[in-house]
Amino acid sequence: MAFLEISNIVKNFGGLVANNNVSFQIEQGEIIGLIGPNGAGKTTLFNCIVGYYKPDSGKVIFKEKDITGLRPFDTNRAGIGRTFQVMTVTTGMSVIENVMVGAFCRTDDRHTAQSEASEVLNFLGLESVKEYHLNELPIAMQRKVGLARTLATKPELLMLDEVASGLNRTETDELVLLLRRLNAEKGVTLILIEHIMEMVMSVSHRVIVLDYGEKIAEGLPGEIVKNEDVIKAYLGEKYAKSH
Amino acid sequence: MALIDALLQGILMGLLFALVALGLNIIFGVMNIVNFAHGEFLMIGMYTTYWTSLLLDIDPLLTLPVAALVGVLLGIASYYSLIRYLLRGPAIAQLFGTFGLMLFLRYLAQFLFGIDYRIIQKGLLIGKSLSIGPFIFDWTKLAAGILSLFAFAFVYYFLNKTKTGKALQATSINKEAASYMGIKTDKMNAIAWAIGGGTVGIAGGLLANFYYIYPTIGILFVMIAFACVALGGFGSIKGVFFAGLLVGILEMVFPVFGSLVNSDFLGPHFKFTIVYLAYFIIVVFRPQGLFGWKN
Amino acid sequence: MEKLKDALDFRDFSRAEQVGFTIFSIFLLLFPWLGAGSFVKAVMIQFLLFSLFGMGWNTVGGYGGQVELGKAQYVGIGAYTVALTMVWWKIPFWVSMPMGILLAVGYSFMIGYPLFRLKGHYFAIATIATSLVLQDIFANWKLVGAAKGIELPIHDHPDFLYMQFKSDTYYYYFIMVLFYVAIFYMNWFRRSKLGYQLRMIKDDEDAAESLGIDTRWCKIKAYSIASAFVAVGGGFMAVYNLYIDPVSVMDLDLSIKIALMAMLGGAGSLWGPTIGAAFLVPLDRFLGSWLGGHGGLIGLDFMIYAMLIMVVSAYQPRGIWGIIEQFRRKGS
Repeated sequence: MAFLEISNIVKNFGGLVANNNVSFQIEQGEIIGLIGPNGAGKTTLFNCIVGYYKPDSGKVIFKEKDITGLRPFDTNRAGIGRTFQVMTVTTGMSVIENVMVGAFCRTDDRHTAQSEASEVLNFLGLESVKEYHLNELPIAMQRKVGLARTLATKPELLMLDEVASGLNRTETDELVLLLRRLNAEKGVTLILIEHIMEMVMSVSHRVIVLDYGEKIAEGLPGEIVKNEDVIKAYLGEKYAKSH
Repeated sequence: MALIDALLQGILMGLLFALVALGLNIIFGVMNIVNFAHGEFLMIGMYTTYWTSLLLDIDPLLTLPVAALVGVLLGIASYYSLIRYLLRGPAIAQLFGTFGLMLFLRYLAQFLFGIDYRIIQKGLLIGKSLSIGPFIFDWTKLAAGILSLFAFAFVYYFLNKTKTGKALQATSINKEAASYMGIKTDKMNAIAWAIGGGTVGIAGGLLANFYYIYPTIGILFVMIAFACVALGGFGSIKGVFFAGLLVGILEMVFPVFGSLVNSDFLGPHFKFTIVYLAYFIIVVFRPQGLFGWKN
Repeated sequence: MEKLKDALDFRDFSRAEQVGFTIFSIFLLLFPWLGAGSFVKAVMIQFLLFSLFGMGWNTVGGYGGQVELGKAQYVGIGAYTVALTMVWWKIPFWVSMPMGILLAVGYSFMIGYPLFRLKGHYFAIATIATSLVLQDIFANWKLVGAAKGIELPIHDHPDFLYMQFKSDTYYYYFIMVLFYVAIFYMNWFRRSKLGYQLRMIKDDEDAAESLGIDTRWCKIKAYSIASAFVAVGGGFMAVYNLYIDPVSVMDLDLSIKIALMAMLGGAGSLWGPTIGAAFLVPLDRFLGSWLGGHGGLIGLDFMIYAMLIMVVSAYQPRGIWGIIEQFRRKGS
């Protein structure tokens, strides 16, 4: 049995098909890149898995448990963490407090939550900004805080929605390193939605491609870049240009 | 028979309720703000009619344009002096801001006019009634219902047939898209407040013909308006019309049933309680409104 | 034990706040001996009572960011429970008060469950609606005195069991103790799991859900805590005023005042409600009595009140405490 099994997910928005019969399986410890042109239904698929949307049909099986239609907090407690493409910039809480909220998912004790939050911040190299509020940080850093607080919930499966967008080259390289460490040291399974092709191709073990809500390809990064359908749908020019 | 009578009376009241709720719903639709002071706008419309008719010694019905004008000015003034600033803040501040406006107007009225209940005594229609078969209608209520219907139809026409009205609807549906099309959001907001104030001003003028006028009347009518808006669907013009009728009927018919049973809780005192309860039940179980219409 | 330690731990506040709180506490303790007249004493009692209400509101309203405008219904439940059980069955205050809390909490769960399906305006209006319904019921229910209200029997001798005293000083100290219980509780609450979770909900509800927070359940819990606070205040009002009616303990004005004080002082901060009450209660009382003495300029006090609310909402939605913190952040 696979770690995460998505079978035949369909999601409609008033006649507009955002996900059409999407199926795939993920094994524990994998790093999966989920790519596709804008509007391909990647974020919708995330939302269906995590529970912000209820899929019209299809099943999500996580660790042999049917989690289809569970609310986001339930899927989180089950071990799935997700970050958001756009962070709501808020002024109410400092960085460490944000991360503590994540840690409170697994503990009731404030002191435990605090030390766990500090640990995560150290891991991500955020300790120097822990007293800042989100609105005082650059956008790339805000997203990293988003990652930090999700990590603090100790997910086994981490779903990242464009976590690298807005980062410069060095920052992206650092992030790639970090994700690999996360995967290797903590055994976290990763699914990334990403636009920066080089990053996805270098970090992912496998890549899944969506187009118009359907899965059009799945395979090793090397295969995907050569896949005709994928090139037609999306990659073509862009990838050629960046090389 | 009593039931049919209540039904007819309810429809007349309902037309007025629809007019009251119309402005609230336009403002909500265009800028996603709930105007708690809406009932106070109504109250000021009532006082406007009261004082103009008394001081100029003219028929209260002739003061309706004045009430409308005062309402429009009040709406615009509120928008430019307060609401614009609230828009920058969080939702909680917007709620409290219009709440503050509500209290301010209410106690301004209390300060200026005292807490007395006033009633207009002189007027063409006041005290006269029309009997059709077994049914007796107060002319004031009849006029209120019919003129409300006209006012509502006029605004509906304005929204659907004029350029400004269409721009307003476009803003209501998608603010960003509308602003890309060159529609100035700020101006649209001000117009929404002007219409909101004007319609409720007229409603106040009509209501003043047959209802007690006192400073704290606003909360009752704003709650009725909220119920209508919830029933009809937040932002829906068509919806609010039928919701107004339904609330009017509910409010008149309920006491008829109540009088059949001897109980503390079914008397006429509870006609508005039922409206509040209706609001609660509707938003909890059918947040898209009873009809689920959208513009 | 750990919780108690947290409740009494004010170390994460600035020195200025600690000193301020200490001086304030000494003042509260000594106040009855400072020779203030009965009017000023009544104002102080009112101030502490509203601070207590405000702290209750602050749980779900301030930390959780849910604009709740129906707190008066819980004042009413507390007050009516104490008054009615005393009149009907001569139940002492110390028994009826916990009963009032239980009823309030039970009712809050019952009503909170559907209520917290709602958000934003829908929620705020619904809280008013439920409160108005309850007030209408009490105003027409003959069994509980309807609109006439209930008078509590006055005992000839001071009676601790029924909380009847000749001197206001006793009431003062009693409400002061309640005030401190509330302060300490809130001091624990703001750093508790629930406190953090509520602040996350206020900031970003979707994100909160993604962090394993059952947002609706959190709000309901906070709402019931708030209700307990407010019901205690209501019970106090019953024995202190010896007379209650639907207008004095259930009116919308009361709900508004409670929310406003917390909001004006600073929603979501420990000191906010107390600061708000310190501003508004004296304003309310002194202005009211001064104006009353000047030919009934009724309404002027509330107009000033309303102006304050509009200005604060437009310019500093985080209230007076928000202004202070803003300065401090700039300074550091």
